[in-house]
Amino acid sequence: MGASAIRFISLNDEGLMLEGSDDIVLDVTFEGRRVWSFWLLRDSVERGGHRWVEWPGSLVPFLDGHCQLGVIEHLTGEVVYDAPTQFGTSADQIAIVNAEGKALGIDKSGRMAQTFDTRSAEHVAPLLDSIEEVLGALKDAGIEAFPAYGTLLGAVREGKLIGHDSDADLGYVSQHENPVDVIRESFRLQRRLSNAGYTITRYSAIAFKVDVKEADGSVRGLDVFGGFLCQGRLYLMGEVGQAFEREWIFPLGTTTLEGRTLPAPAVPEKLLEAMYGRGWKVPDPAFHFETPASTHRRLNGWFRGTRTGRDAWSRFFSTRRHTLPEGSPSEFAQFVASQEQTPARVVDLGCGRAGDALWLARQGHHVTGYDFVPTGSLAAQKVAADEGLDLSVESLNLNEWRSVFGVGTKLAHAPGPAVVIANHVADAVGARTRKSLWRVASMALRQGGRLYLNVWVGGGQSKALVHPVPMRVIERELAAAGFVVQHQEIVEDQQDSGRQVGRLVAQVGVK
Amino acid sequence: MSLKDRLVGKLISSGPVGQLTERIKELEAEVQEIRQQNLRLAELADVVGELLIPMASRDQARIDAAVEAYLKSV
Repeated sequence: MGASAIRFISLNDEGLMLEGSDDIVLDVTFEGRRVWSFWLLRDSVERGGHRWVEWPGSLVPFLDGHCQLGVIEHLTGEVVYDAPTQFGTSADQIAIVNAEGKALGIDKSGRMAQTFDTRSAEHVAPLLDSIEEVLGALKDAGIEAFPAYGTLLGAVREGKLIGHDSDADLGYVSQHENPVDVIRESFRLQRRLSNAGYTITRYSAIAFKVDVKEADGSVRGLDVFGGFLCQGRLYLMGEVGQAFEREWIFPLGTTTLEGRTLPAPAVPEKLLEAMYGRGWKVPDPAFHFETPASTHRRLNGWFRGTRTGRDAWSRFFSTRRHTLPEGSPSEFAQFVASQEQTPARVVDLGCGRAGDALWLARQGHHVTGYDFVPTGSLAAQKVAADEGLDLSVESLNLNEWRSVFGVGTKLAHAPGPAVVIANHVADAVGARTRKSLWRVASMALRQGGRLYLNVWVGGGQSKALVHPVPMRVIERELAAAGFVVQHQEIVEDQQDSGRQVGRLVAQVGVK
Repeated sequence: MSLKDRLVGKLISSGPVGQLTERIKELEAEVQEIRQQNLRLAELADVVGELLIPMASRDQARIDAAVEAYLKSV
């Protein structure tokens, strides 16, 4: 290692000031271990004639204490800065590790993750086993898959997993040429893998994550990205839309990853160029995709939209899922209980943390809660189980018709009338998703019963995740969905002054 | 921006170029709406194949099993 043409100016708890005019990749090391990489010009702003780089948000919580900090040119190893450094006021040594003490680095998404350069060969072996296993399961389902994106790049360029990567990606190119058929094929694949015992998280209509448990207990996700060829172009979720020859994929060849022979596109260099551009051979731990807007438009239009809002709700519940909600039961739940006989079969659509569902179960009702994020109510589910209450919480994604019709069919077949409640659900989604809410409610009421709604209809301050929907809009939509409103009133929200809440009771097709 | 630039911008946005720009925006939105039908159609085909066909059996146990299996895979 030698001296760099880039000059260190200063640093503090917020960021780093450097001087240099070449846009090159720099590694930031703690005790000699790379934790983060960035492009000098692309990832900085000009300040007083120098380049100012802020520490990434995922790193900041760790920056309190002392360490041997390094800033090093990634390609040449030349040293820009290497010195004992103090952040914050703590006398402790900084350790960039997770709760189990495992070393972390910042991955391509800007998140702290267990990157491969911190993993030993014995820990990587189970992941390679899993790659082979999932490739085998896909092959059994008639799909010729191969390592894709960073995993293919590592195999072709270095014969190993890329150190700064943190997950394994698989891809396949469908034999179908129409998005409808490609999507249906992905649904079938999900079923096959789910039946084989894997936990699947769907990202889009043709991409999902397969959770694999490794030897040390870590759960690592293998992403499976679908693609297809159409009119001389390859579209591969989620970044590729390029002119491409079928012969560059089929028949598949092989590549070597960490000593294992795995399937690969016939000409993997062509796919890597489509993914990473002509510079794919040069290592770049700070790589960002620069996918053309036209490709994103196509992929978004064909395949995305079923996860809208999911991340926001997951974040909302992430710090609350293990505690019971305060303020339960709501006035709305008490109103519902006062109108219905006990026990009733209660269906709580969008039950959230299930405070009302738990209270209704304690009153003797048989309650099933449904939510976009069923893990948001873990605390209520545990209490219900401990108390032997009839409460279960299941998944419902109103953005996804498969979920809506699946849940709706199940509810339609349940015996007897139902009490369907939806507390601040209609005001948490858009008009298109509300149609699915009315659909699943209508199916749940096939054998009679009532729908109770609580909706923010106006007034009050703006609020995250919900928005007011005028009462007349709700009335119009309910009528179009075959409901007849039997009772409606506007009440003042007890927990949020100035906010007006519409309370409606409706039945399907009964005047 | 100079007065001249602002006037030229105003003329362009209110003239044929501006009208064409608006038309392109509308067409892009319409194309996107059509693209989104692919997913809806695929979902409906999946529902028909996996839920509606088992339902024709009128065997409640088979229907319940098909619904549970389907929900597990969604």
